[in-house]
Amino acid sequence: MKNPWAYTETVKEHFLNPRNFLMGDETKFKADGEGIVGNPICGDQMLIKIQVKTRENGEEYISDIGWKTYGCASAIASTSALSELAKNRTLEDADKISAKEICDYLGGLPEHKFHCSVLGHQALHKAIKNYQEKKAPEGAS
Amino acid sequence: MELSETSKIGNPSSLHSPGSLSRNILENARKTIAKKLNARTTEIIFTSGGSEANNTVINIFRNSTILASRIEHPSVLKPTEKLGNPCIKIPVSKEGFIDKSFLKNKLETFLQENPKEKILISVMMANNEIGTLEPIKALSKTVEEYRNKGLKNLFLHTDATQAFGKINIDVKKLKIDYMTISAHKIGGPVGIGALFLRSGTPFAPLILGGSQENNRRAGTSNALLAEGFRSAVQYTIDIESEKLFKEKITPLKDFLAKNIKKQIPSSILLTPNKSLPNILSFSFPAAEGESTQLYLDLENIAVSTGSACASGDLEPSHVIMATHNDAEIAHNSVRFSLGLDTQKSDIDILLDKLPPIINRLQKISTIKTKDVK
Ligand code: FES
Repeated sequence: MKNPWAYTETVKEHFLNPRNFLMGDETKFKADGEGIVGNPICGDQMLIKIQVKTRENGEEYISDIGWKTYGCASAIASTSALSELAKNRTLEDADKISAKEICDYLGGLPEHKFHCSVLGHQALHKAIKNYQEKKAPEGAS
Repeated sequence: MELSETSKIGNPSSLHSPGSLSRNILENARKTIAKKLNARTTEIIFTSGGSEANNTVINIFRNSTILASRIEHPSVLKPTEKLGNPCIKIPVSKEGFIDKSFLKNKLETFLQENPKEKILISVMMANNEIGTLEPIKALSKTVEEYRNKGLKNLFLHTDATQAFGKINIDVKKLKIDYMTISAHKIGGPVGIGALFLRSGTPFAPLILGGSQENNRRAGTSNALLAEGFRSAVQYTIDIESEKLFKEKITPLKDFLAKNIKKQIPSSILLTPNKSLPNILSFSFPAAEGESTQLYLDLENIAVSTGSACASGDLEPSHVIMATHNDAEIAHNSVRFSLGLDTQKSDIDILLDKLPPIINRLQKISTIKTKDVK
């Protein structure tokens, strides 16, 4: 059998102690925006929920974030890392977090596990979009 | 074997004395294996392992009809897909048993349309992922029946890599034409296996260019590996491993299965009743298999999974896709393998560690299960 720990210590640490995840009933987390994506490669799933606040200068930022993942250790660690990276960032900045940034934050992922980190970044993008769409009618009218 | 002897081991095909020592070792190993299987020594060919033995058999039937079950090992399936003409995959039930009526229908058609056709049926004795014991005895009866009806060139191969040493195998009683076994599955060295080949069955070597193994497998014979193989086989004879597995391990496996089901009600048992004594496979809804595997690894419990995430090619287990046609079930699958040294206390530790791990994974999963409140 392959050594299952083909992961860095950081990945392992995030896998064992994931940050900001939603345990159990995720509806308890009141979200301003949410996004869920499936991984076409291996069939995994990721949900990201965000709360948005506005700073004095008018910038909108992610004040809180919660997530759920149905996937491998690398997917769990990637979402955990993403949630740390995204917290307190402006929506614009957070939307720019790339899979590579997540990967770097974790000290690298095995090549065939890179796609797991792509998932988190897509889910966050969807959550931000969802927030903006929900808000849009007021702004538009 | 004493290490000092190794310096004396030569090429078994040479006529000098180290060569003859080697030849003795090799033939001794062949004798032990033949005896274990109730075969003749001339019916045993050494190979580099199970994969080569499987490839050898399929290659004999290149350009002929080959029927293989959908849950065969890739070393049967891949060459069958490439060399079988046609290659026919035999479907299996949810429990992994081959569809006998599908097979009979096919044989009936061959009988009507082309009774002279060379046909190979390849069905494993036991599946490595879910443990299913295929009905080899019934299958060989069917083969015999159709041979008598007129399919003179119909043959049966079984890959017994997983079953060897775990359940009794008598090739005469089972009336098998070809059978694959491997040394490392019974605690022998990696790099050697054997092919049983019933006298009188068609044969063509896979590796050409030497007269070894009676012109049936070229390449300098490796007496050291053969000796390792022999002693592993002898050990299974001495301790009566099949009996031990049945009497000691089967009850542990049943106990484990019952208690997993009790503690994790949503779990799906993938292993049928008629299965190897040492393999138990479950699928835990919403808990991805590689994650479960890693959590258990930290508790020093080694398991494997059919999850796409854990496979190099990111494909779900072809076995579970064949039995359940559901990538999610494969995704959440975990295989527990018991050994002769497994104790009740090991099972208790597993039963203590597993439920909270599954529960935690289910709780952070986007997929809902009835277990999670
Ligand atoms: S989520 Fe499937 S490989 Fe990572």
